[in-house]
Amino acid sequence: MAGQSVARREILRSLAIAAGVAAFPGFSKWSFACGHPQQSLQPIRPSAYQPIFFSAPEYTLLERLIDIIIPSDETPGARDAGVAEFIDLMASRDVELQHDLRAGLNWLNKHSETLYRARFLQVSFEQQSALLEPLAYKKKFRKGEEQGRKFFSTVREYTIMGFYTSEIGLKELDFPGFRFYAESPACPHKDDPGHLHLPPPKG
Amino acid sequence: MAIKTLCEAGMEVCALNSGRALDPEKDFRNHRMPWDLKYRSFGDPQLAKQSEAGFVGDTEYVEDVWEREFTYTTAPGAKWSWARCSAVGGRTNFWGRSAERFGEIDFRAATLDHHDVDWPLHYEEIAPYYTRVEKMIGVASTVQNRPSNPDGDYLPPMNFRCFDMILQTGAKKIGVPYLPDRIAQLTVEHDGHPACHFCGNCTSGCEVGSFFSTPWFLLPKADASGNLELRTNALAKSILVDEEGKASGVSYLDRATKQEREVYGRAVILAASCLGTTRIMLNSKSRQWPTGIANSSGQLGHNLCDHLYGTPAAGYLPQLLGQPSFPDNVSDSSIAWMPRWQNLNHPREQNFARGYSVYVDGGCWEFPAYYDQIEGFGSSFKREMKRRYPTPVTFTSQIPSLPSAGNFVEIDPVAKDSYGIPKLRIHFQWGENEIRMWEHSKKACADLMQAAGGVVEDSSEEPETPGYSQHEIGTCRMGDDPTKFVTNRFGQTHDVANLFICDGSVFVNGTDKAPTLSILAFALRTSEHLIEQFRRSDSFQH
Repeated sequence: MAGQSVARREILRSLAIAAGVAAFPGFSKWSFACGHPQQSLQPIRPSAYQPIFFSAPEYTLLERLIDIIIPSDETPGARDAGVAEFIDLMASRDVELQHDLRAGLNWLNKHSETLYRARFLQVSFEQQSALLEPLAYKKKFRKGEEQGRKFFSTVREYTIMGFYTSEIGLKELDFPGFRFYAESPACPHKDDPGHLHLPPPKG
Repeated sequence: MAIKTLCEAGMEVCALNSGRALDPEKDFRNHRMPWDLKYRSFGDPQLAKQSEAGFVGDTEYVEDVWEREFTYTTAPGAKWSWARCSAVGGRTNFWGRSAERFGEIDFRAATLDHHDVDWPLHYEEIAPYYTRVEKMIGVASTVQNRPSNPDGDYLPPMNFRCFDMILQTGAKKIGVPYLPDRIAQLTVEHDGHPACHFCGNCTSGCEVGSFFSTPWFLLPKADASGNLELRTNALAKSILVDEEGKASGVSYLDRATKQEREVYGRAVILAASCLGTTRIMLNSKSRQWPTGIANSSGQLGHNLCDHLYGTPAAGYLPQLLGQPSFPDNVSDSSIAWMPRWQNLNHPREQNFARGYSVYVDGGCWEFPAYYDQIEGFGSSFKREMKRRYPTPVTFTSQIPSLPSAGNFVEIDPVAKDSYGIPKLRIHFQWGENEIRMWEHSKKACADLMQAAGGVVEDSSEEPETPGYSQHEIGTCRMGDDPTKFVTNRFGQTHDVANLFICDGSVFVNGTDKAPTLSILAFALRTSEHLIEQFRRSDSFQH
């Protein structure tokens, strides 16, 4: 395949030279696009994160949850990607989400106390999983756990949003976009249009 | 298009643009990764909630570009989502780039199926303008010889990806077309504009101008002529008229100071998008034009048409499970489409009139939106997310609504926007014909997936809200009869000879094709008609 990835700065330099776009009256001004403004870059893992919205115990519980949803295993997981910080940031700007998450975290602890006579963080990983599975799999749904299911679905959704938009998460998927390709990438299996004889997936 | 054409012909143009100018470096951030953005491209939740508009165009890839205020109300029971981008270049900065010609089958649709009226011209009359516009903007596709889709003058096509190849095998089995779309994306360097580098974030705006937008392709040429004065943040309010009811200029508001200003000219051209233009005209009431300028036919605001958009099917291709990731998202839109295949041999093959098209996309995108289809959590969930990454497929139906007496806009008698300008009130419902096409498209896409060995997991029950496609047209229709149409075949209003319209509002009806290329072609024709008249005599005639 002809595609190759090069640093963005190099792309823009080569394109600009090729096209001679130095003077450009179509927009308010044109300044050469070498240095992108980077002021919105987020520090990924400050050493001691101070939650904006959550209390310290809530935040610890949230971190445990996201770690269960997308764990660190052979590859890094949600905790490594700082997903709890992302959720804290989103919640800090969204009153409805604040309410749902806070009420849900409380529900989780109460539910754990009902089942195991201990709060969620005090019980074993097996017990935590056993509590969460009926919230996550349709076949295991139980009556009376509607609030818990809704909460779990929200936390899961935000964990996915945070993880798969992080550098770690998109590396996990091997996201191939927002790069420079010299020509429009083409299917490399032209002799097998139905893709019925592809090499078996690795792993 | 009108600005460039007039400026290059030596005419002095004062262009009023209701928003700000964009700076490609600051405003287009298409090469940033989601993690470079504070809210990871989802946008500040607080701002999203504050926004009045049903459609929030601003993401963190573009900020302060889409308007947040509603400038319209909806009639009881009607829904409409009107996304307004008033930055210089408007929605061309972020458009889907699908650039198909309309065909004779579209211009003569009424003759074929007896619904509504024909366009006042044949395909041959507009064909040369399509050719010129395609040369100007660069459109990539192939020659396809489809009865509904005239071929044009194309750059090399975008290549098919793995999932395209698989779906094409399914399409062949069930006898529906699966072809490269006509896409205004530069597969090779074109007229001084650099070839596309296929980063795939096009609808966030292109930093280097490798697809057509007004600021990248047309305004530099207008500016080079020395004949253009562009006034930004100038919100057009109404058309000024002289004693005879001719257009003498435009009254506008400086959005910074909210002060009202006037500008005068020999002719006025409106190109404020279909509903924007219509709102200005309806708000231009005078002794001579008590119901809005150039509205002696009473048709101004009527015949609002839209594209019904929806997801008739979404699913995945098991053939690609676990395969390495592939740069599928190199267009942020569709490279492939299924052009109209219904009612081609006979206008009444189906239980609906006319036809629709379907865009297809899928593969490795920047966000794995299929997560809803995978239950659970933990390592098994994470592995399945990765396994599924190359496989998703999504279809989008593009279904034209038939003109209907119930679908129209008028001025809301009470509501005004924050500038004190009366709002539009929109009346709109999907009709039976478009709902039948929608149901047809669900079955067709499910059949295609099955034939291709794919799995359908989802389809939207309801189509998107009207207005979602941003393809609204028809409120200032063109036609030969001044008692039935707002403009003549050249986009010149029947009532006011020096008032011209250069947007989709002049279209007679929708088609299965996206409107932008046709808007450009008709605008070019209208502008040249204006120039010819201007050169012939001092006063404009019909």
